Amino acid sequence: MANILHCANISVKFGGVIANDNVSLRIEEGKVIGLIGPNGAGKTTLFNVLSKFQQYDTGHVYMHGKLIDSKGPSDMIGLGIARTFQNINLFSELTTLDNILLGAHRLTGNPIANMYSFKSARKRERKLVERAGEIASMLGISDELDVVVKHLPYGIQKRVEIARALAGDPKIILLDEPVAGCNDEETAELREVIRKVNRDLSITILMVEHDMSLVMSVCDYIFVLNFGSNLAEGTPAQIRTNPEVIKAYLGQEVEP
Amino acid sequence: MVNKTSMSRKSVEVTNHAAMTKLKRRFSSQNAGLILLMFFILLALPFIPGFKPWMANQLSLVLVYVIAAQGISILTGYTGLVSVGHGGFLAIGAYTSALLVKYTGVDIAIAIVASACMAGAFGFMLGLVFLRLSGPFLAIGTLGFAFFIGTLINNVPFFEGREGISLPVNKFMGVVLSDVSFYFLGLGFFALVTLFIFSFVRSSVGRSLMALRDAEKAAQSCGVNRFFYRMLAFTVSATITGAAGALSGFSVRYVSAEVYSDIWYSVDILVAVIVGGSAMMMGPIVGGTFVALLPFLLETLADLSFILKGLILIAVLIFAPAGICELIARPFQRWRQLQIESVGKETLVNAPSAVMHQH
Repeated sequence: MANILHCANISVKFGGVIANDNVSLRIEEGKVIGLIGPNGAGKTTLFNVLSKFQQYDTGHVYMHGKLIDSKGPSDMIGLGIARTFQNINLFSELTTLDNILLGAHRLTGNPIANMYSFKSARKRERKLVERAGEIASMLGISDELDVVVKHLPYGIQKRVEIARALAGDPKIILLDEPVAGCNDEETAELREVIRKVNRDLSITILMVEHDMSLVMSVCDYIFVLNFGSNLAEGTPAQIRTNPEVIKAYLGQEVEP
Repeated sequence: MVNKTSMSRKSVEVTNHAAMTKLKRRFSSQNAGLILLMFFILLALPFIPGFKPWMANQLSLVLVYVIAAQGISILTGYTGLVSVGHGGFLAIGAYTSALLVKYTGVDIAIAIVASACMAGAFGFMLGLVFLRLSGPFLAIGTLGFAFFIGTLINNVPFFEGREGISLPVNKFMGVVLSDVSFYFLGLGFFALVTLFIFSFVRSSVGRSLMALRDAEKAAQSCGVNRFFYRMLAFTVSATITGAAGALSGFSVRYVSAEVYSDIWYSVDILVAVIVGGSAMMMGPIVGGTFVALLPFLLETLADLSFILKGLILIAVLIFAPAGICELIARPFQRWRQLQIESVGKETLVNAPSAVMHQH
């Protein structure tokens, strides 16, 4: 299948530090792609490049083969690219429903029409609320719809974030450490959520994650970064046995 | 019978959303009813025996503060941008209408609209500059703007400095207004602004502003255009405050630099929204009333109001950071939430069939 999102030769420098050095990444449509690497490997930087929060010095980003270098972060969802954040980044004073509705912001239409609740706007809003309800029940948070999200437990907040990403009808979701800080039970639940999103809604997923058992069990293909550069790529089985990757994570054995 | 019990027990997991929605709808119409009641009381005040025209004047001043606070609440409460310079927009509104009436003799209806537009235009242009700043830098920038306007009206002869501009009797749509009828005009304006803010905040626009306030990056990745929405908030906020400025000039029919170059005007309306509660409908209403009436209630000790305002501001920031209104509303909201939850469950046990319909 064709690449849905890919980037080529991305370089990002922060002063003297080279966060990304000539990094390339291809995300095939319909797959779950993992992006791993030791701390400081440049995963988050690359992630921010792909979602346009980070400017890059060289290289290009393409969506469906089209150059999207000139787009800003708020254009991404319109292109079908949604993302979540490493530390939960919800609209903390708003309810779960409002959070999900904001995910569908690009479908809300003319703001002036919305303010005066024109008939078409009201109809559209009702439809969006209905869809938000469907997404919520799929993720098992429909009882939480009216709760202000800052009062929700951590695992539920993670789901709200995924629900919000889903509401914009994306073709691909970028998940930044979806299970960071979750206990085993929450991790298992989120694994199912990720599978469901990928299979049932056929949404492509790119995931940065440190939880190797999750990455190995969910991803179809994995990219490994180390010190800002591409180190390896391959199926989970290939990555698991790749000596370069093992060296990067565990260090080199010292000769006796 | 046994079968039935097990059925209801099985469905306890599910909540009755229909009953909850119904209750929620009733609560929100109760809220609307309360606001309507408040309007009727304000409308009836002048008909109470013993009401003097000067009281109407005082009430008009309260309305000015309330509307100005409503304007700033859009920016500070819903969008999370603190402005310490809204007195500048108030001054722009007051001077635009005063000069218009003085030199062209237009009807105050036109003057008020023109003032709002002028303040809005200033807000738009300043937004282009100031919205590059955030947090304390934005606050200082807007403060600088208020100082700039203050210096301008103090020193440019066209604005007649501390001599001030005296205005003729107010004519609204050709009708000469007494103090009491001016109060009614202010009340009508207050109603308009309240309705506007209500629809503004409850629509997708308000939602987007609050999203930018709570998590800017997340809002952007949801497709909320930061520049557009923040500019909108800044402009609308300036427009409303400008209209309040026009009303404040007409309420005393005198505009002078002594009043409008005072930086305390800016601080007062900011204090009003923070004390009242910046992100709720009632907040600016309560806060504006408090700030406007405090010096009046203290009578000869009016200067003490500065100290009192400061103390109350500190107390509010410590004990009720979301404002007095939120503090008052909290137990009611909690009670309502409990009721909603219990309704959801109660119906469930008694009428399992209703639950089945849901799914």
